[in-house]
Amino acid sequence: MALILMLLAPGAVGLWLVTGGRALAPATARVVALVAAAIGGGAAVVASVMRPVIDRAWITDLGVRWHFEIDGISAPLIVLTAVIGILVVGHAWVERPWESPGAGSAATYLGSLLLVITGALAAFAARDAVLFFIAFEVVLVPMWVLIGRYGDPHSAAKRADASARFILYTAIGSTLMLVGILLLVARAGTADLGALPRAAAGLGSGEQVLIALLLTIGLAVKVPVFPLHTWLPAAHTTAPTAGSVLLAAVLLKLGTYGLVRLPVATVPDGFGRIAPVLAIAGAIGVIWGGLICLVERDLKRLIAFSSVAHMGFVVLALTSGSEIGLQAALLGNIAHGVISALLFVIVGGLKQRWGSVDLAVVRPALREVSPRLGFALVLGLAAGLGLPGLAGFWGEFLALVAAWNPVHHTGILRTCAVIAAVGAALAAAYALRVARIVWVGDEVTADAVDQAADTRGIELAVIATLAVAVVAIGVGPFLVLDVTADAVATLVGGAR
Amino acid sequence: MTLQISWALLLPALIPVAAMLLVLVVDAVVPRASLAAPVIGALGLLGGAVAAVPGLDAGDPRLTLCTPAPDGRCMWDGSPLASTLQIAALLATLGVLALMSWRKAGVVDVVMLLASASGAVAVVAATDLGTWLIALELATLPVIALVAWRDRRAAAHGALTLLTTSLVSFGLLVLGAALWVTATGDPTLTGPSLATAWAVPEQRVLASLATVVLIAGLAFKISAVPFHAWTPTTLTSGPLPISALLASASKIAAVGALLVVLAPYESVLDLSPGPHTVVAALVIVTVASMLTGTVMALRQTEVVRLLAWSTIAQAGWVLLPLTALSVAGRQAAAIYVLVYAVASLVAFAAVRAIHGQHVEDGRELTAYKGLLRRDPIAGGTLAVALLVLAGLPPGIIGLVAKVMTIRPVVDAGLWPVAVVAVVAAVLGIAVYVRWFAVMFGDPDASAPKRPGRRRASVAVAVAGTAVLVVTSVLPQVLLGLVS
Repeated sequence: MALILMLLAPGAVGLWLVTGGRALAPATARVVALVAAAIGGGAAVVASVMRPVIDRAWITDLGVRWHFEIDGISAPLIVLTAVIGILVVGHAWVERPWESPGAGSAATYLGSLLLVITGALAAFAARDAVLFFIAFEVVLVPMWVLIGRYGDPHSAAKRADASARFILYTAIGSTLMLVGILLLVARAGTADLGALPRAAAGLGSGEQVLIALLLTIGLAVKVPVFPLHTWLPAAHTTAPTAGSVLLAAVLLKLGTYGLVRLPVATVPDGFGRIAPVLAIAGAIGVIWGGLICLVERDLKRLIAFSSVAHMGFVVLALTSGSEIGLQAALLGNIAHGVISALLFVIVGGLKQRWGSVDLAVVRPALREVSPRLGFALVLGLAAGLGLPGLAGFWGEFLALVAAWNPVHHTGILRTCAVIAAVGAALAAAYALRVARIVWVGDEVTADAVDQAADTRGIELAVIATLAVAVVAIGVGPFLVLDVTADAVATLVGGAR
Repeated sequence: MTLQISWALLLPALIPVAAMLLVLVVDAVVPRASLAAPVIGALGLLGGAVAAVPGLDAGDPRLTLCTPAPDGRCMWDGSPLASTLQIAALLATLGVLALMSWRKAGVVDVVMLLASASGAVAVVAATDLGTWLIALELATLPVIALVAWRDRRAAAHGALTLLTTSLVSFGLLVLGAALWVTATGDPTLTGPSLATAWAVPEQRVLASLATVVLIAGLAFKISAVPFHAWTPTTLTSGPLPISALLASASKIAAVGALLVVLAPYESVLDLSPGPHTVVAALVIVTVASMLTGTVMALRQTEVVRLLAWSTIAQAGWVLLPLTALSVAGRQAAAIYVLVYAVASLVAFAAVRAIHGQHVEDGRELTAYKGLLRRDPIAGGTLAVALLVLAGLPPGIIGLVAKVMTIRPVVDAGLWPVAVVAVVAAVLGIAVYVRWFAVMFGDPDASAPKRPGRRRASVAVAVAGTAVLVVTSVLPQVLLGLVS
């Protein structure tokens, strides 16, 4: 029941908003969407606790079942999606992208947000490989609408480019993943994610490697892993704040979640073979993202590149193949979701206030003009650089520990761990650079306060929620680790 | 020699023929009754579809036109797969008849449509080469007349292209049929006789050659590359409803005919040597169609031309699962062509509803700017059709159809083809999303005016969209038909 409500409330309302309810007044549409997101989110939290199961035949000819179930691995992600879902819909009171010229209606915008949330929730809850793929595809069109229609109002060409890049890159990834899934399902004889690890255990090593390769490349586009990340900065920079938050906090997680569920869980030996390549790509991603962040002028783009770096840590943790590595990856996932959501909300707010977030433009000090916003920014940056006590630390620390003690390929992975540690230092450098330019800033002139009014109302609530989450996960990482521990142990144990 | 005939099984083909005769008789007796022809035609098509419904039940074999035992062969097989294709072809023709509009559909149009529909019904169920050839031509030739019927110079040009193509195709098909009979000594397309012939090397070569020639002949009708050249010309120059017919009912007939030809190969698939030549021929045609069609469609700005190239690309998708030569492959091809036929019929109906009768000019993509806001019904149905063709949710049935077509290929381990399919799928998304993207936004002042009389077109588009939506929610409804 909770599962049905979790998918139905945002899904049905979202569909209605983009079709029949398009003409709805913004004020009404906002309330409707918020109620739907709240019901769906509440149901998602209930479902993560109660763990109900839906399992019905859907497409019997393809062996696809309508099978949803939440376990320890998906529960934190479901809760994260539910919370982020409510926050982004609530954020529609702050940023109103439908008001910019050429944009669509408010209802379409909110409906698209709800549909992205529905797709993500369905993908996290799906326990059938083909169903996972279909849910994965559901987010494509609404996200494309969000970027293409409600993105950066300054340049239509940029919007078209970013949205096309997003949909085409993701489609390449998901189609490759589909081929991998079909091969896996055909050889293993089942599409049930719970039964797949055992069923696939008997596959030949060549087949395992091929399946792992297809699945990993497909999902790596979504994560994104260097060098497949080139769609991400464009999409992030152009998307409206809510779109950026959804992209960073939810959609990227689909990629890493898929990696855990599909190649790591089902064909561990095949994944182990290609792990070194993936680890190197992850380590390069950490360095690459960090270096670009040191020189990038556009703050939104900078946060996007820092995402590439953070996801590099997550991927590195995954490749270690150990229990602690998986734990680190899942924790890093959640932490990055919260931190990047926080940073994108702040930067989106700044962009709205300033018109652009070019770091080369000298601006008054944020700490004096809008201290609350400034504090949140510093908190987000500190968490991003991995300060102990904040969310980012544990995921990255454990990732390095895991990569230092991997199950296989010790030499390569240790090297990667060292490189990634250097990358963490880069993260500190660019975080301080941003803090110096934006937070310390320049002398305050008289009219500066009007230009950047401090955050309040709903924006403050959104930022505060995320900030509390950043601190909570940092202080008590066991909140997440306890939930995932059992599932991860079964997953790694089943692979042995 | 006496044939055992069970008339009930032949009804799906006989009812349209009877309706055709009735239209002619009524026209001779009461020439003024202009509405009689379309009504009788519609009833005939509907009746044929209803008569094919019992065939959906996979219970006992529905064979008829059988020669007496001991070596009895049947020339008609109304299997569930064939019955599904029959119903789809008849209903698609009915949709085209509606697009023509009641007033304008004259006796000649209706008779041609009925003839083509009965041919389509017969060809998917035929199992002997004689019936198969005649039925296939019966399904195609009337369409040429329909293209040329309106006396526009461009239309005549389109018809001439189609006629030339059809003649070449017919020549190839006759040659292929003759080779087949020579190779197997059997005028029916059955597995056992092919398996017997396969044992002898010379006969094996001949049978492969026969099949390759037959595939080439059919590739003209499916409009697969390199036999596609007529498609953009004919589809853009003929009347729009006939283009819709070519893209839906005719496509179903041609694919059904190909399924009949490839069905015997199931029995030689596991023999050594396997049917490599046939697979190679199919792979070449598939890969060429998917890539050429998609890339060319990406460059078009005129919507009907875009749809024409997309037809070619989708032909590649229909052929894709057939490269595996398995039962699952044939079922997947049938599903794909059904989904494609419905989606393209919706797209053509929506284009018709947007532009009205005089559709030859201004069918540029720019005319669709802001369509979703300006004309929600036509725009919405078109959007659903495009998403299904692209295989993107919420058009889940398009995605499921793509999953079905890739699965047999992956199963058979044809990796190069699977890789091409991935590329084509992504490029295909670009093609349809390009059009989809235009429909958002604020309408221009230069947008074409909404035509006055378009109820029938809207009805066809809405009915087709309803089918797509229902099958997207419950894909098994469609998939269950052919298994």
